[in-house]
Amino acid sequence: MSVLSLDQTSRWYGNVVAVNGVSMTVRPGVTGLLGPNGAGKTTLIALMSGFLSPSAGAVTLDGVALWRHTDAYRSIGLVPERELSFGYLTGRQFVLANAELHGLDDPGAATERALEVVEMTEPAARRIGTYSKGMRQRVKLASALVHDPSVLLLDEPFNGVDPRQRLHLMSLLRRMGSDGRTVLFSSHILEEVEQVARQIEVVVSGRHAASGDFGQIRRLMTDRPVQYVVVADDDRRLATALIAEPSVVAVSLRSDGGVDVSVSDFGSFAVRLPLVARRHGIRILELTPTDESLESVFAYLVGGDR
Amino acid sequence: MTDPSAATPAGGSVIHDLGYRPYTGPRLGAGAIARALTLTGFRNAFGLGRSGKSKVLPFVLLALNLMPAVIVGGVLAFAGLDELPIGYAEYASTTQVLVGIFVAAQAPVLFSRDLRHGTISLYLARPLRSSAYALSRWTSLLGATLVFLLLPILILYVVALLGELDVSEQTREAGIAVGLAVLLALSLAGLAGLIASWSTRRGFAVVATIALLVIANGIVTAVQGISSEEGRSEVGEVAGLFSPYSLYRGLMGAWTGADVPTPPTSTGMELAYVAVFVGLSAACLAALVWRYRRVATA
Amino acid sequence: MNRTVARLSAQALFGSRRGIVLMLIPGALLVLSVIVRVLTDAEIGLEVAVGLGFTLALPLVALLAATAVLGPEIDDGSVVYLLSKPVSRHVIAVSKYAAAWAATMVLGALPLLLSGLVLDPSEMGQAVALGVGAAVAGTAYCALFIGLAALTRHAVVIGLLFTLLWEGALGGVFGGVKWVSIGPWGREVASWVSPLVDPVGLGVTYALVATILVTVASVWFTGDRLRSFTLRGDE
Repeated sequence: MSVLSLDQTSRWYGNVVAVNGVSMTVRPGVTGLLGPNGAGKTTLIALMSGFLSPSAGAVTLDGVALWRHTDAYRSIGLVPERELSFGYLTGRQFVLANAELHGLDDPGAATERALEVVEMTEPAARRIGTYSKGMRQRVKLASALVHDPSVLLLDEPFNGVDPRQRLHLMSLLRRMGSDGRTVLFSSHILEEVEQVARQIEVVVSGRHAASGDFGQIRRLMTDRPVQYVVVADDDRRLATALIAEPSVVAVSLRSDGGVDVSVSDFGSFAVRLPLVARRHGIRILELTPTDESLESVFAYLVGGDR
Repeated sequence: MTDPSAATPAGGSVIHDLGYRPYTGPRLGAGAIARALTLTGFRNAFGLGRSGKSKVLPFVLLALNLMPAVIVGGVLAFAGLDELPIGYAEYASTTQVLVGIFVAAQAPVLFSRDLRHGTISLYLARPLRSSAYALSRWTSLLGATLVFLLLPILILYVVALLGELDVSEQTREAGIAVGLAVLLALSLAGLAGLIASWSTRRGFAVVATIALLVIANGIVTAVQGISSEEGRSEVGEVAGLFSPYSLYRGLMGAWTGADVPTPPTSTGMELAYVAVFVGLSAACLAALVWRYRRVATA
Repeated sequence: MNRTVARLSAQALFGSRRGIVLMLIPGALLVLSVIVRVLTDAEIGLEVAVGLGFTLALPLVALLAATAVLGPEIDDGSVVYLLSKPVSRHVIAVSKYAAAWAATMVLGALPLLLSGLVLDPSEMGQAVALGVGAAVAGTAYCALFIGLAALTRHAVVIGLLFTLLWEGALGGVFGGVKWVSIGPWGREVASWVSPLVDPVGLGVTYALVATILVTVASVWFTGDRLRSFTLRGDE
């Protein structure tokens, strides 16, 4: 069990505040660190990997402060955003060097294991200079896994990686999370985070904007109407009936069938919809929430129109 | 939808299209592009038009280079000397380390940066031929080096005139120095530019250029010193062909009578010196153009 | 001293074009020595070749080696792979220094010894003295430059200004500069080993102590700077 915890952490450079009073706890499983560019994601990862000292507050791993604590790297694996520039080494040599630097008993075996996990055993004999971007990411990941760390930090791991390798990486991360490791990865691409992590931490302009399961976060945003699409056998009559309901704020007919419904109180809507449909003899074919996606949550948090 | 600058038709209404419109007016030719690039490059060599930190090094070097000239001027004024304590041409020879470091440090700014970060393709995607690009960059570096070399000559000249030294003599000496400076600048710009365009890592290009200049100069000086002591000065003269600094010194010795180890003694040798000087610059320039042509077609 | 770090640094040193230039410099020195030997007798030749080797070739080799071992990695951030390991920063600094030091000894100090032998084969002691002096100066140069590389991105230019301007030009003009220049320290040690080499007037104790001080302080400083390395994004 490894728990990373930030407590009222701030980091400023002169007058610029990069991280502003962030408190979060990263537990075992996959957590997505989400935020627009320049929100402070890399700064947070630098703080959590011991490469930056907090100007205020504390950053701890299992209760021990991380800054200048070189021994902590036994349990932390870091996959930085920067490109691998050891072009003259082969993939195997690079991972092996990492294994040796960790002081492992059997660096060779650990290297082979790590390469197998990322499925890079064959290309490992070629020089890194000849690798594609996705292969470099995988070698970076292998070098971070070689010492079997309980915490894995990845800074924008899917940047510039082609779709097939991205799927591979995503399933890898999910597996790491279900193995019981604490995995944190940062991204500004919502689809990636949606598919890999259920637990998200959102940072906007250095502040911690939201944390938790994004479906639940959506439901917490009660001052915004929830959008649904209802497809019925008679859309117009359903729309007329629904607008009479007190929980419904707006309805509109979609050009390709179905009704867009804006609901202010989805609890009572969930109860009323079947009753309304039965009373008017309308058959409901489909009911889909349209903005429970991470995108709408994110847009809301970032857009600041609250 | 019409162009926003079109007039409203009489008696009618109109909506103008404010969307994106490509430029359809007259365009300047490739010559203007090259001129603009040269000017920008020249300014960039001194850090103008770039961040504040990039101005530090060139201006510090420039100040270090001009300081002795100013001091000499002061000495001339206060001591009332009747000739400059240091000749125009000798000045550059004495401060050769500074001009070498300047050229070595600023050539990567003009050549290596674009190659390293791949922005060269942005330049070559314009109606600008790769040879024009190479020439324009080289001209910028040449211009910057000339400024570096000619400013001290100018300062000394002004000071000499103010000190009421003989105008015609000073002008002649300054003129020779200017000619020598041009030759030196040509070869330095060529060498530094070639090395900087070949090695894309800045630090490496700087050391390689300096190593080449300084070590070649050191070797030649050593050989010249020995050969003049041994009384075999022809060896020294030939050795002087192998480094820009020694070429400069040799011609300086021949044309201004300054005290130099083994200056070229015959007209044939002098011509050889000039030919090698110019030839070296031309060869470097050709290699530079060839290199960029390779880059453009790669 | 971590062998892996040293090995990686050595690979970075020699695995590129830098390695070629690194070898050309001592090569040029030896070629010069041969030419000088052919042209003249030992005395003058020795002074000249040694002057070139000591004041130019040795510091340039040390500068190239030191900035190759640390500079590019810090510049593009890939030093983070070395730092995110449970290895002390000072150990990393020492290991990198060791790789650069080895290169300086083989390609900076050894050629001076060889060139001394070429120029004056009868005086073995003199050549050895030169080699030892160069080794001492090279140690300090390498340490100073690696400290510079850890401090700033412009380490190369500053190192060049130090060598060529401070030690070279100004050192020729102002006598006092020799107390604060590494080249003279090395020469003083050389003259202590063999009386054939002219002393500089510093006293060998001062020269050795100064060298040790500069070396230890610079390498310690490098380790300290590595401790403050920050992860940066692609900005």
